[in-house]
Amino acid sequence: MKARTFLFASLAATSVFAADDTTRETTKFFESEVRPILANRCYECHGDKKQKGGLRMDSIAFLKTGGDTGPALVEGNPDKSPMIEAVRYKNDEFQMPPKEKLPANEIAVLEKWIQMGAPWPESGEKPAVVMEGGFTEEQRKYWCFQPLAKVTPPSTNSTWVRGNIDRFIAQKHNELALVPAPEADRTELLRRVYFDLHGVPPSATEASDFLNDTRPDAYERLIDGLLASPRYGERWAQHWLDLVRYAESDGYNEDAYRPAAWPYRDWVIRSLNADKPYDQFVREQLAGDEIDPSNPDVLIATSYLRNPIYEWNQRDVRGQWDVILTDITDTTGEVFLGLSLGCARCHNHKFDPILQKDYFRLKSFFASVHWRDDLTLATPEEKARFAEQQTAWETATADVRGKIAALIHNPQENAAERARKMFTDDLQAIIAKPASERDALEVQLGSLCERQITRAQKTIDPMKALKSEADKATYKALESELKAFDSLKPKQLLEAFVATDTGTSAPSTTLKTRKGKQEIAPGFLTIIEPKEPLITPLTNSTGRRTALANWITRPDNPLSTRVIVNRLWQYHFGKGLVATASDFGKLGEPPTHPELLDWLAEKFVTDGWSFKKMHREMMLSATYRQTARQQPSEAVSKIDPANRFLWRFSPRRLDAEQVRDALLAASGELDAKSGGPSDEGTSTRRSIYTKKKRNKQTEILQSLDAPAGFASSADRQSTTTPTQALLLLNGDWPLARARKLADRVSTIDDAWIYSLGRLPSQSEKQTAEAFLTKHAGQTKRTKSIVPPPKVKPNEFKENSAQERVLVQPQQKEGDEFTIEAIFTLDSIDINAAVRTIASRWNLGKDSVEGFGWSLGVTGVKSRYIAQTLIVQLVGEDENANIGYEVVPSKVRIELGHRYHVAATISCQTHQVSFRIQDLSTPNSPIATAVVPHAIQSKLGEGASGLVIGGLAKRAAPHHWDGKIDGVRISQGLIEESKWKESQDKWTPGLVTWMPSSKDTHFVWDGANIETVEAGDPFRRAMNDLCQVLLNTNEFFYLH
Amino acid sequence: MSCNNIDLPSSRREFLQRAGCGFGAVAMAALGQNTGLAATGSAVSESDHPALEKIANGKGRAKNVIFLFMEGGPSHLDTFDRKPLLNKLAGQSLPPSFKAPITAMGEAKSPLLECKRNWKQYGQSGLWVSDWFPNVAEHADDLAVIHSCASNGINHAGGVCQMNTGAIFGGRPSLGAWVSYGLGTINQNLPAFVVIKDSEGTVVNGARNWGTGFMPAIYQGVEFQPNGVPIKYLDNPKGVSRDRQRQKLDLLGELNNEYNATRTDNTELEARIRGYELAYKMQSEAPKAVDLSKETQATREMYGLDHEDTAVFGRNCLLARRLVESGVRFVQLYSGAGSKWDSHSEIEKNHSKLTRSVDKPIAGLLADLKARGLLDETLVIWGGEFGRTPMSEQGGGRDHNPTGFTMWMAGGGVKGGRTIGATDELGLYAVEDRLHVHDLHATILQLLGVDHTKLIFSNKGRPERIDQNEGHAFSAIMG
Repeated sequence: MKARTFLFASLAATSVFAADDTTRETTKFFESEVRPILANRCYECHGDKKQKGGLRMDSIAFLKTGGDTGPALVEGNPDKSPMIEAVRYKNDEFQMPPKEKLPANEIAVLEKWIQMGAPWPESGEKPAVVMEGGFTEEQRKYWCFQPLAKVTPPSTNSTWVRGNIDRFIAQKHNELALVPAPEADRTELLRRVYFDLHGVPPSATEASDFLNDTRPDAYERLIDGLLASPRYGERWAQHWLDLVRYAESDGYNEDAYRPAAWPYRDWVIRSLNADKPYDQFVREQLAGDEIDPSNPDVLIATSYLRNPIYEWNQRDVRGQWDVILTDITDTTGEVFLGLSLGCARCHNHKFDPILQKDYFRLKSFFASVHWRDDLTLATPEEKARFAEQQTAWETATADVRGKIAALIHNPQENAAERARKMFTDDLQAIIAKPASERDALEVQLGSLCERQITRAQKTIDPMKALKSEADKATYKALESELKAFDSLKPKQLLEAFVATDTGTSAPSTTLKTRKGKQEIAPGFLTIIEPKEPLITPLTNSTGRRTALANWITRPDNPLSTRVIVNRLWQYHFGKGLVATASDFGKLGEPPTHPELLDWLAEKFVTDGWSFKKMHREMMLSATYRQTARQQPSEAVSKIDPANRFLWRFSPRRLDAEQVRDALLAASGELDAKSGGPSDEGTSTRRSIYTKKKRNKQTEILQSLDAPAGFASSADRQSTTTPTQALLLLNGDWPLARARKLADRVSTIDDAWIYSLGRLPSQSEKQTAEAFLTKHAGQTKRTKSIVPPPKVKPNEFKENSAQERVLVQPQQKEGDEFTIEAIFTLDSIDINAAVRTIASRWNLGKDSVEGFGWSLGVTGVKSRYIAQTLIVQLVGEDENANIGYEVVPSKVRIELGHRYHVAATISCQTHQVSFRIQDLSTPNSPIATAVVPHAIQSKLGEGASGLVIGGLAKRAAPHHWDGKIDGVRISQGLIEESKWKESQDKWTPGLVTWMPSSKDTHFVWDGANIETVEAGDPFRRAMNDLCQVLLNTNEFFYLH
Repeated sequence: MSCNNIDLPSSRREFLQRAGCGFGAVAMAALGQNTGLAATGSAVSESDHPALEKIANGKGRAKNVIFLFMEGGPSHLDTFDRKPLLNKLAGQSLPPSFKAPITAMGEAKSPLLECKRNWKQYGQSGLWVSDWFPNVAEHADDLAVIHSCASNGINHAGGVCQMNTGAIFGGRPSLGAWVSYGLGTINQNLPAFVVIKDSEGTVVNGARNWGTGFMPAIYQGVEFQPNGVPIKYLDNPKGVSRDRQRQKLDLLGELNNEYNATRTDNTELEARIRGYELAYKMQSEAPKAVDLSKETQATREMYGLDHEDTAVFGRNCLLARRLVESGVRFVQLYSGAGSKWDSHSEIEKNHSKLTRSVDKPIAGLLADLKARGLLDETLVIWGGEFGRTPMSEQGGGRDHNPTGFTMWMAGGGVKGGRTIGATDELGLYAVEDRLHVHDLHATILQLLGVDHTKLIFSNKGRPERIDQNEGHAFSAIMG
């Protein structure tokens, strides 16, 4: 047997030429037994049509070359042949055919065949693709891997040309018989450059300054002025934040807010405003911690490495960490190199010469990244000062803190132990190791586990965890004792949301394939730089990311230099010279003007990687100054309908942030404040300063295609949907902007100037006049608006100056409290809104900001019974999920009757007790109800303040309508004997409000001018006109 | 896995030209800014879906989908996947022959929890169903019960996200978005993809579960409120009559027409006008779709509308049927919005209540669809983001189990009255015909007549598919 095998093997190896008996036998065996199996079982996925896993199986050459994971067989050795491993179904991860195991006899045939040396008796074997050094000639010559060409701008005698850019553009125009559009008029240019550089329209003064500037270099001056303004960074930072998928929340279910994320956003804005050279800008983000760790303004740039999404309770810690590093790798490839590397994570890239190994070489640069939670953004001096004060406070409080720690030690330890036990044994072993004994991977995994444990400890509530009343009292006393030292406490330094390396060593980066595991060292793309990089370790860091940053920012890097100038081009002109700005590979599009791209890249580097110089170069060109209003001729529609060769300026819709900011500019509300923590999307701050929650984007921004921050985004979509139109027509926020705009205007001219930055045309004016006359009988405002009516001190009325009472922040009522109120209700909502007596709630039901509660009376279409008293709760349930629950009393509240109600709300006992007395009906029985609920905690931890007669946000149907004579909120569950039907008998609770209250903690909030339009036809008509103007195509488009 | 089996368009534009024509000019303008695509046809074309013709697999015949999503993870072990061994070993630890799983709450070592249900075999097929689903069980011969589902998400966030989009983290289009992208819609006044929840609780991760990820927003799911005003901002602002709204739109149209007149090459401008007009039409049409006043008493009873326990989900099931009748392509109903099926403790209490709330309504939906001849073309899918562990948690609960769980499908060409795949003897791991979420998505598209490997959206140079190139359609589901 052995001898025969040898014979066959050597025959196969020397190919088939002699038709002797043995060969015939071989041929017969192959054709009658082997080939049918291959054809029936394998060719469908591994033949000439499909090559799954990169493998073809219809020729021995293909089998020997193999697929992504190497040769499919080893001649003469079935046990070492991957295809045999696959058909044997022994390895869970690697089973072929995937749906069904082959019958045993077929497996035996294949084994026998390979044992024989895999003879394939066929002449004219199909040759497998032969690659030189791993790459084909074609791949090596692919444009984006070529060095930047030295390009001289083409000469031209065109009078249209202003600068070098135009020479390249004109050359293509000539070739394609295209004619450039005339220069845009000043109004069109002005609006274009303001939106382009600042993201907001010009003010009336700014507009007239430019329109009346007769100096020959007025346009240059305008551009220089805009580039010098801090508004520039506020606009252009948005482009960068899109690319690095910046967001301010974790992105999984909890989507926890990242309060320390914004300093990175400000760093990007500052860097752009300072025209920080791009190479430095890149180096700081990839390796700021290695370059200048003590400089907070450099360290913060590594927040780039913190942008991945994160799930706080993910017990698969290894899996999550791998997802994070993968995400950083993918993003880095796209943002800096313009290559879509994702494909190469699982196999050699099908279309680009990117090896699977290259993916892991890149990933390996990040192998040692460590998300730090212990650093601050402060200079060494600030840190020293802080430490000094902190020590003073610690010394002074050592005793009381020690007592507190001792008191809650056990509950905390129990919480920690529960959290620890949730991890698998291997992770528990890591946690058990002292920090000093952990290797690099253990540092990473251990710290991720410890985050969960620390959180478990922090979230215990001593007032629940401590069992005895005595302990609770002691704890409270100690707490106030500690509070007495607050004056000594230094102001907290800004938390640094940054990353460093774990140390000088890195965990291994492993490439797992069906063939096994392979350790991969850091390295660049093989096709550009096959050599191992020179990495210089630092005293406390691997130096890997510095090496990567240095390579990316090499002046001769053919990718990163082209990628960034192409992005600048795209943001100015609407499309890049390479239309797929984050994919320069074969699935992307080739450059329309390759020489121009190289010339720009070269110039960008020569000019010191300066954004501002490049902006100037591009914006001063005749190409940029063309009008967008040129309509294509029939010929042009055939030659270049998409304007890829720039025969005009490409029309475009404003993006989400531009629209939102322009709405605020039109309404006169745009807040000029720069930097700092983010505000709500409903505020009047610029969009870049609003909160970016991945799961809960600001409605108008999301509707207009702002990315959510899960993946790098290289360009914006521009979608039009009916739901978007509904929001813009009927949404509260857009409507409020229209009303504010109407506040500012007296005439039709004003309305046009503020919204569109120009006077109306004759016909537009006539249209508007007709509209106003029809609806209001006048075209100009003739009287001032009547202020909202005044009402009695205990009355709560929509559109009056008294809609609700905002209670200024003070100690919160917590999860166990009693609320009493005396009221008369005039109406219930005709829909499902709840008339609110008191609340700490913003109607949110799906985020931690929404935690809170409310007490009120249901509306007509309530899911529960209409016109009954209910409590609504939003907090955490037993599974630590966000829970929203309605707790109905089922007691009906008669309109016009005066009531005393008391409700005790308890998360400990999971119930709400109601006591309701109708004071208008003598001897009416007291109704009571005890209703269970499932909320466990955190009622007080939302974003809302306490409000009487309404909610934390103005929402008219939810406001009280009628009288409230008093509201008393007390901590704890107050006994019934202490409830009083007359507010005069109340002893002060935590919060006690009465109509007579002069306490400055209570502030009435009421209708302002915007809500009183109902009785003013002109005002209504002007609102409508303003709203329409803010919805016009002209408002939304640069065209 | 391979990307090779893709018929690759050479450019985005070509892709759009090949696949995009049927979606109408609104979508076209949205996708094709400056790509030079001329606007064609009306907002959403009724007649032709060339995209579908291109990618049709000639197999599936379903036209619509109703996806009943039990959010939080219903226990397969106590509903459709009967495991006698579980009760034999109850109280003991997982035998060492089972690979130790990573569990969300770290209770892999807790004792096995018995199933307290009574099981019966139903229909001619003799499918085992527990006493938590007696009404659905009456439709046993229509159900293809897939016992071997598998997912990667061990937590709700990852699980729900993957069941909806294929990936455990956000950023990808949802199944409903892929379906409306691939099949378009025949109703001009309603969205192609509608989502209805059974409470005001928020589905894990929020609205991005029915988002479009990297696709244009036109394909996103629109959330309907089951009562009152079905869509957010559908009502005019307070105090604005329909007449006044009309006059505003007329003024807008007039101003836009003047602006558009000199910019006729920009098709987006026209699309925006149509978007506003469509919104205006939706304002009157959408409320009709949710108006149940014309439904008979018998129908209402069939869905359980007359009973407090079943009224909410029953109403939503009835709405789903009405929406499908009105041409909505993909309806997703959430039961237990906000992970209510999650039962780390006291599963008896939790599941008793929830199964009662959905059992009759779902049975009613199946019966009603069948009676109206709609079941053949409507694929009904039942399941959650994962199942639950055989191991107990906190005594009477079960932890998440993404490694083996049950979903069932009915209608839409599915061959009923049988089970597909199997979990091991304790229901922990899928061991036979394991169908990963990617496979389920591929299968659903196949049932809709779409070859999932050909339904491609080009994103940043990558030809993206619903299954991230990893799924295989399980054709045998059609029999």
